[in-house]
Amino acid sequence: MKRELPILLTVLCGLGITMAFFSSSAGDPDDLPLGWTKAVNSELLAWALVFFSVAFILGISNLVRISLKTISSRGEDWPYKAVMLIVLFGYLGIGLMEIHQQRYGFFGSTEDAVVGIAGQGERAMRDWVYFKVFVPLQATMFSLLAFFIASAAFRAFRARSLESTLLLTAGAVIMLGQVPGGDELTFGYAGRALAFTMTYINGAGQKAIIIGATLGVLATGLRIVLGIERSYLSE
Amino acid sequence: MASVHDFDRRWIFLIMGLLVVGLVAAGISAPMPVSEYVDSYFATIDKLPEGSIVMVSADFDPASAAELLPMYTGTIHHLLAKKMRIVNVCTWPAAPPYTASRFAEIAPMYDAVYGEDWVELGFLPGDDVAMGTIGQSLRSAYPRETKNNMAYDDVPLLRDCGDSMGNIELLITMSAGYPGILEWIAQVGGRYEIELLAGTTAVQTPDLFAFYPSQLSGFLGAATGATQYLQLVDDVAIDGSVTADKETQQSRMLVQTWAHYFMILLIIVGNVIYFTGRKSS
Repeated sequence: MKRELPILLTVLCGLGITMAFFSSSAGDPDDLPLGWTKAVNSELLAWALVFFSVAFILGISNLVRISLKTISSRGEDWPYKAVMLIVLFGYLGIGLMEIHQQRYGFFGSTEDAVVGIAGQGERAMRDWVYFKVFVPLQATMFSLLAFFIASAAFRAFRARSLESTLLLTAGAVIMLGQVPGGDELTFGYAGRALAFTMTYINGAGQKAIIIGATLGVLATGLRIVLGIERSYLSE
Repeated sequence: MASVHDFDRRWIFLIMGLLVVGLVAAGISAPMPVSEYVDSYFATIDKLPEGSIVMVSADFDPASAAELLPMYTGTIHHLLAKKMRIVNVCTWPAAPPYTASRFAEIAPMYDAVYGEDWVELGFLPGDDVAMGTIGQSLRSAYPRETKNNMAYDDVPLLRDCGDSMGNIELLITMSAGYPGILEWIAQVGGRYEIELLAGTTAVQTPDLFAFYPSQLSGFLGAATGATQYLQLVDDVAIDGSVTADKETQQSRMLVQTWAHYFMILLIIVGNVIYFTGRKSS
């Protein structure tokens, strides 16, 4: 029963969602063929959303458990883990406090005037941390890419073979075609080469990859629904 | 001749840094020609009748905000200027502060009323499953809106949406990766035959050519697409409200132009050194 019940549930859920897909429409479910499957699908999707939300709690609990273990044993990078926990619970605390003040009049707030721990505005403190700390940090990390790509262009982008020559030519053409002035600099050729490369070469390649991957997903899905693939049961 | 690996790459970092900072400080801007894909994005919104309900999904975080936030801002201006009604959702947890701040700034310019002209439904966890749920039943995905915690049926705009996607004319996503435009196409666009538009990062843009124009009516690719779109929106938005954003984007594109030229130069120099070294050895 430990094996059969999960397989049976998987088969039923898989079939239910597949049938709902073919009865999907924006209309009234009662007017549709297999309309009842829409109700089953809705219920299953609602459960899935609950599982996702619970997974957040599980993930955070696990992260806290592992981090506390590392901090208490002064393991590798323990100060970073301590900072991570302080930030995690600090931001959570700010969020909960601001939601509380917004709904229940904390800090003397009224319906018309929300007074937060960081002044006027229902999410003033959360926004301050988000826009003054989180946004610049993430933007900085991403901006560093420009420097590493420039360095890689000089050190690693070599015409060693036909494939690498094609790759670096395509890269140069795309870079020129994408920016104002690049087209004029090449007498209109960069723009045309960009359109041709993206629409035909890239478009055809993308379609082939997507169709191939989708067929693979379909085959795997079918194996799971039919109970052939049981790796999710740790078999 | 010395190998390229002997060259101290900090010189490259320094030149790139000076180039970018210098051009940003100069603040020079130049207009760009508008591509077919951007034109199609603009026209798809423009042709919708007044009062149409449009779902906008913010699927990005601060790392991609430099590319996607100008597109998002332009799209909200465009929709409100054309008197569309906006249902805003997010499938990325870091997006809501951006959407809240944009609406707080833009909605009053067009006298848009919360709950009637726009509504914020907030972040929904679950990636593809969340999108599937939104497509299947907006009410079960979001029993309450997020700004004032009002029940679904107490919000006039959501009442007009009904329970399904049937009353939503258009779905627009600002997509930085997974989950994003590819998942919206699979879970909602194709399934419920809803017209789709997308704004994407430079990394994701090549993926979209396979879907245009059948599954995707238009798209804005990276900072280039954002700049071209803001140039078009500037003509329909309320007096000069996006002019500053447009000029900032145009100025950024000039910075990007010279950064690209510098990288092409590095590729050429690197290859010349490589071939010269190979010949001599």
